[in-house]
Amino acid sequence: MFETYINDYNEAVFEIDKELALEVIESALEEGVTPEQVVFNIIIPSIEVMMAEIVINADTNLAQHFMTAQIAAEVTEQMLAKFESPPDIIGRVIIGTSYGDLHSLGKRIVMGCLKSMMVDVVDLGVNIKAEAFVDAAVAQDAQIIAISSMMVHTATGEEGSLKVRSLLKERHLEDKIKLVVGGAPYRFDHELYNKVGADSWAADGVTAAKIIHQLIMDGKS
Amino acid sequence: MTPLEILSATVSGQPSPRVPVFCNLLDQGAKVLKMPPKAYFANGEYVADAQLKMLKHYGHDNVWSAHYVGKEAQLLGCKDILFADNGVPNVADFVIKSWDEIATFEIPEDITQHPHWQVMDDCLKILRDEVGSTNPICAYVTASTTLPVILMGMDKWMELVLIGPVDLRDELVRKCSLFVQKQLTAYRAAGANVIIYASPFGSTYFMPKKRIVDWSMPWMQEDLKAGTDNIVYYGGMAPINTVMQLVIDTLKVNIFYPAPEDDISESKRLINGTGLTSGVLDDIKMIHWTEQQTRDEVKRIMRLGKAGGHFLFGTGFMPLKLPEANILAMLEAAFKYGRYS
Ligand code: B12
Repeated sequence: MFETYINDYNEAVFEIDKELALEVIESALEEGVTPEQVVFNIIIPSIEVMMAEIVINADTNLAQHFMTAQIAAEVTEQMLAKFESPPDIIGRVIIGTSYGDLHSLGKRIVMGCLKSMMVDVVDLGVNIKAEAFVDAAVAQDAQIIAISSMMVHTATGEEGSLKVRSLLKERHLEDKIKLVVGGAPYRFDHELYNKVGADSWAADGVTAAKIIHQLIMDGKS
Repeated sequence: MTPLEILSATVSGQPSPRVPVFCNLLDQGAKVLKMPPKAYFANGEYVADAQLKMLKHYGHDNVWSAHYVGKEAQLLGCKDILFADNGVPNVADFVIKSWDEIATFEIPEDITQHPHWQVMDDCLKILRDEVGSTNPICAYVTASTTLPVILMGMDKWMELVLIGPVDLRDELVRKCSLFVQKQLTAYRAAGANVIIYASPFGSTYFMPKKRIVDWSMPWMQEDLKAGTDNIVYYGGMAPINTVMQLVIDTLKVNIFYPAPEDDISESKRLINGTGLTSGVLDDIKMIHWTEQQTRDEVKRIMRLGKAGGHFLFGTGFMPLKLPEANILAMLEAAFKYGRYS
């Protein structure tokens, strides 16, 4: 039963047709699907379908990633308000752009996908110092620090990911907190994440959510 | 032949001794003059001086005007650029802070009267006098469908393009297109002879093809309606092979600067013995290469693109972190493997 909704919804998202996507959700609700089911049986699986799609078909575009995140986050937020009881949160991520970097779109897409997957996201904003990432992760008991950088100097600079890594080491937090990075420079050099001391990276927002989700799960087991 | 003659021979398919070699050194200029980037970019004479010094030192073909993308935003009222000692300048003040401000956003009547244009003009004047008859002088113009990104941020623009009111979106692009046209005229008059037309929203990395056909293309036609002379189609380092045919047919532009991930053989097939396409080296990867790896990559690019001509070797916007030894190795290899004998 959910399959049709998932297909119709995903098709609309892929066609960047927000209205149509929302109509699919609307009609699901009208036909008796509960808000919980909308999130867990339509939105999350549809993101998963999208994840699989990206692996097979590399030709997805940023517009589609944006729409996936945007609509999923919007619908999830609306549904959460109608949940019978608050859902279990899988984990918590501290996100921001690196110091000196003001590009916020990548972060927004990653956040949208994560939120819909029941990962709590704390957004520190743009131009964030390494200390602030680590302090926030400790204060908020987060499992992941996620840093978006759109420029080479902010990705590889001394004040960015490299420093977060050394702070984690210094404070003996490396087992507890994982570091994930993303943004344009990492897509050009797929080994770059390693060189800046990160545990992982992703080339797009949907895959980012998948990887972060996996890291949180790994940490639990 | 001079580098300029080699370039035009390459475009028109005349015999030439080698592949043109473009190396985009912008932020490096401040280092050459041992100056903070902010002071450096504020004076056209400094930029011209450094460009000429770098041309002499490295021996590549092209020089650059006093360009950074933030400059376009400054011409339109941006008050703050975040300069970094170790990297590229970034727009730090958005001219349009909310959709409401689009209605009152205006394009200056004469951009050449703007103090920020003066810097550009000073720089181009010197470059034109010194190397205008021998070397390509590059300028950079952001397409009207992408320009709003630096006026309001990628976030807000993406939202407006994809889910916002169509009228508002097009009102802004119309204003931006007017600005693009004014810039093109001004650059041509000031002596720039290679104009990099940056159009990430005309790349399928950003938009589905259908949107590009229906929306980006008509606006790009508007941008370029005064002529496509010296226009180089560039995706901002996003791939463009998938739109090349469309650009050739619709915009009548046949000079391309693809991304490193675009397949060079495919680009060559698409231009089909006319105009020019480029083999662009991934200068972000190059940061961590050895000199030998750098030479090997140049060799690979030349092997794929050189045969049959209509081919240029180029780089991205060379990050400051690049080791000098790799830059030298790259250029040495480009001249060696780019020779037609
Ligand atoms: C569009 C674009 C532009 C536009 C808009 C820029 C802007 N302000 O947003 C224009 C044409 C104006 C432009 C200008 C410039 N650009 Co530009 N630009 C690009 C381009 C094509 C896309 C960047 C972008 O905005 N992407 C949007 C994001 C959201 O897309 P994305 O990276 O695919 O995001 C996904 C993933 O990265 C991932 N992700 C993102 N964040 C995170 C975080 C985590 C934790 C994870 C896991 C995943 C993840 O998920 C996202 C969603 O799917 C890139 C090249 C490229 N192919 O990527 C160059 C690029 C970013 N630009 C570059 C440069 C140099 C510039 C300029 C400085 C040029 C100049 N000298 O003036 C200016 C600076 C302008 C400014 N900001 O002031 C360089 C930066 C590298 C460097 N040298 O430092 C790049 C990489 C091109 C290159 N190879 O040279 N640019």
